[in-house]
Amino acid sequence: MKKTVTINLAGQVYNMDEDAYGKLKNYLLAIESHFRKETERKEIISDIEARIAELFAERITPSKSVITITDVNDIIQILGRPEDFGDVEAGQQENTSQGNSYTYRRMYRDPDNRLIGGVCSGIGAYFHMDPLILRILFLIAFFGFGVGIIVYIILWIVLPEANTTAQKLEMRGEPVTIDNIGKTIRDEFNNVKNNMNFSRKKT
Amino acid sequence: MNVENAKAQMRKGILEYCIISILARDDAYATDIINQLKKADLIVVEGTLYPILTRQKNAGLLSYRWEESTQGPPRKYYTITEEGKKFLEELDKSWLELVSAVNSIKNKTLNPN
Repeated sequence: MKKTVTINLAGQVYNMDEDAYGKLKNYLLAIESHFRKETERKEIISDIEARIAELFAERITPSKSVITITDVNDIIQILGRPEDFGDVEAGQQENTSQGNSYTYRRMYRDPDNRLIGGVCSGIGAYFHMDPLILRILFLIAFFGFGVGIIVYIILWIVLPEANTTAQKLEMRGEPVTIDNIGKTIRDEFNNVKNNMNFSRKKT
Repeated sequence: MNVENAKAQMRKGILEYCIISILARDDAYATDIINQLKKADLIVVEGTLYPILTRQKNAGLLSYRWEESTQGPPRKYYTITEEGKKFLEELDKSWLELVSAVNSIKNKTLNPN
């Protein structure tokens, strides 16, 4: 049994397994990062999405109404990974500098290491600090001066949550490259796998 | 010198030439073009095609219209423009020149008189 996700791809509705959805999302993210420097980026991506929607439609039959991870893997094989696109402009840039990447630092809330809203873990990731110290400081500010909770709530509202892999890399100040995105995705995948094994053992 | 790299370099220009040639014959949408290129063993992955089509369109060589499809999303049909036809004529000429140039050099090395 698997949970499914409903997506809108090029104006078409598809049901996907949760793992298939995660894979597709990361694939599209890697493509977006590959064409980052192209002015026509949006158009290229919407063309690719339309093609994926078409390939999905071929894989839906009356007896199979959900897109599985096998379908997504097939489609990635057909369309190719961004590094196999071998397109002219991007290829030349890669030759001049390995750093076909950008590094921004932005403060986000970290949903992966949060206790309450992820504010302390996000600030900790930004300043390379242990979030525990920040949590203690916030607690002191709360009991000592009574303003801690207000500051915390304001930060909770103001700071965006780091949802995408690119945002998580920005939060830690790591360069956003395909390699790094791939690495982070692998880490996350292993985390999920471990959690699943863990809960299976429990039940 | 890497063989794969040299091959890829050769392919790039030829791929653009072939895409325009396919569209000069008939209007087509991306999947038609992909199928023809695959039959000719010119592309390995489909993702290569989309940036080229978009660039050629923005350079004024192609234009497009939307057509409804019975299965899946609407299709983007590409048509060659007048400018694209002129561009193709130039490429046709240059292709023939290249082929004869390569042939003449290859033949000379094979039987030097």
